[in-house]
Amino acid sequence: MTKVSSELAARMKAMEGFNAGACFHCGTCSALCPLGYKILPRKLFRQVMLGLEDEVRTNIPAIFSCLLCRMCEVNCPQGVHIAENIRALRSLINRQEFGLQ
Amino acid sequence: MTEERRIGVYVCHCGGNISDYVDVKEVAETLAGEANVEVASTHLFACSDASQQEMIEQIREKNLDGLVIASCSPKLHMFTFRAMAERAGLNPYEYVHVNLREQCSWVHKGDRPGATAKGVNLVRAGVAKAALTHPLTPLRIETQPRVLVIGAGAAGMRAALALADMGLSVYIIERESEPGGWTAKVGRMGPDNRSGPEVAANLFERIREHQHIALFTDAELTAKSGHIGDFQVTVRLRGEEDLSLNVGAIIVATGFEPYRPRAGEYGFGLPGVVTLQEFRRMLEACEGPLTHNGRPVRDVGFVYCVGSRQEEGEDCPEPNAHCSRFCCMATSFSASLLHEVERKSNQTINQYHLYRDVRTYGRLETVYTQARADGALYLRWDPASPPRVEPRDDRLAVTVKDTLLGDEELEIGADLVVLATGMVPRQNDSLNDILKIPKSKDGFYNEIHIKLRPVETAIDGVCIAGTAQGPKNLAESVASALAAVARTGALLKKGFVNLEPLVAKIDTGRCVWCGECFNACPYGAIEKIHIGEKEVAMAIESSCKGEGGCVPVCPRDAIVIEGYRDDQIMAMIDASLEEAVPA
Repeated sequence: MTKVSSELAARMKAMEGFNAGACFHCGTCSALCPLGYKILPRKLFRQVMLGLEDEVRTNIPAIFSCLLCRMCEVNCPQGVHIAENIRALRSLINRQEFGLQ
Repeated sequence: MTEERRIGVYVCHCGGNISDYVDVKEVAETLAGEANVEVASTHLFACSDASQQEMIEQIREKNLDGLVIASCSPKLHMFTFRAMAERAGLNPYEYVHVNLREQCSWVHKGDRPGATAKGVNLVRAGVAKAALTHPLTPLRIETQPRVLVIGAGAAGMRAALALADMGLSVYIIERESEPGGWTAKVGRMGPDNRSGPEVAANLFERIREHQHIALFTDAELTAKSGHIGDFQVTVRLRGEEDLSLNVGAIIVATGFEPYRPRAGEYGFGLPGVVTLQEFRRMLEACEGPLTHNGRPVRDVGFVYCVGSRQEEGEDCPEPNAHCSRFCCMATSFSASLLHEVERKSNQTINQYHLYRDVRTYGRLETVYTQARADGALYLRWDPASPPRVEPRDDRLAVTVKDTLLGDEELEIGADLVVLATGMVPRQNDSLNDILKIPKSKDGFYNEIHIKLRPVETAIDGVCIAGTAQGPKNLAESVASALAAVARTGALLKKGFVNLEPLVAKIDTGRCVWCGECFNACPYGAIEKIHIGEKEVAMAIESSCKGEGGCVPVCPRDAIVIEGYRDDQIMAMIDASLEEAVPA
């Protein structure tokens, strides 16, 4: 059982550029990911929105492996800014986990 | 058999649909020599204008007094050929339709000799029946240009206005003391943010101004008699005064009841667990921040499909299998209303929408898209593991397996849990006893044909409109109300209606009034009359559908259905067994 917390979601929402609410989980992005990470990007964004911080933390390698190739983004039927979201998330992790400013 | 008949037998190829599998020529030739058959031939398409013209000429020329056409299903062309018989000067009820396509060629494709032999038997039975026909005249009923509308919700009021605009007089009766129904209580409605009370008030205002409409509140239907085109109804006003009205048709727009969850269903009964209707009232009343229990609300869980799409289980012996259609849209629209409160009062409210499938079809999709764009989070659950709602400290804990995260079990802390309760049929037992409209499995009033006759009922002259027929949103309710108006207008503006004479006839000499037929008739078409001292049953021709439930239950064999008389049926059986059982 994982507890949902709105804290992380609130912090992400406050950052410019993060939008994942429109996602309707078609999975096009996961299917197109050249790195083949199942988590990228749809489940990851959901974990963020639900505030599942531990899960997000275990997926840090995947988050930083993303090539930002935007293959997923140009094919997203709901227009989610996937690459921007990844950047925003990296920025938050840099600050929060690694103490980078 | 009494006297020799002069029957014309026509066997149709149906362009190969029949003739590819049945030797139609052989069928016609076999029948040509048999008793009562004056002429027998084949047609490539009996329904074509040229073939009909040929048959008409032959009927006149040979002075035929009976007609059998062996072709497709009677549902397709029985009325075509009845009309043709009439044009030829024959009584349309001396025509007998034999189904040689659906009931013979199409089902015996691998057996031409067998199909042909069966075809002969079917046509022979048709001839045997035709030989025992006699001319019948349709019943002509004069219609009264007045309509009773039951229920003054949005559907009933919209129907009343449209009927009155056609020049018909309308009585609209409402059980409650105010018109408007649920529409007047719902608040703002998606997708266009219109106010329900304003919509209802607008309709009411127009009704008050219309000189052809009389609205009665605190009014209930207590009796109905008569038949299509001419009903006598009694309306009780304020529980005391009776009003007798004479109307030509009735529209039933009695609406729905919101589903009331069982105690404990998704935590129903716990403080903070509310129905969608209750939540909407909270939002309507809310000025400034939304609070519950004296605390600002921070997290709200919505559970979809409560009381809809249920599966049978121990705690749910009579499940509502239907989707209630409006709740996905209404709940997603509530998300936007809640976002509005959030923005206005500078309050942070997290929304978790726990759904099974989001059915915001058509234009309503914009409501769902808007809710997500504003930050509402949608989590999908599977009916095999529904969400649980439990008290936790002084809040609520909602546990859900999110299938979009691979069935990960999540616990959401919530101040409020809103149950998206659907629509269930109204409990209107006394009205049901009077109207006798058949109900469908889900308990709503049943239409005759879900696609092609969506507002007519098995009771002639009685239409259903709005959510009395099944869950609908307001736009759909109004559309169905106007469909009912179209059917009612078509009936009453003509001034009369012709009814099938294929109805029950009761031999009053034999009848001893045991009441069996009265109990068997689903249409209320049997009534008790007195002939001198004797009590006997009489069939009300205008209410009878010729359905025949009364015939086998009569212990005195006193009832026949015209067109399906016992002697005709016996003759058909004898004829079709002629070869199998030699006389």
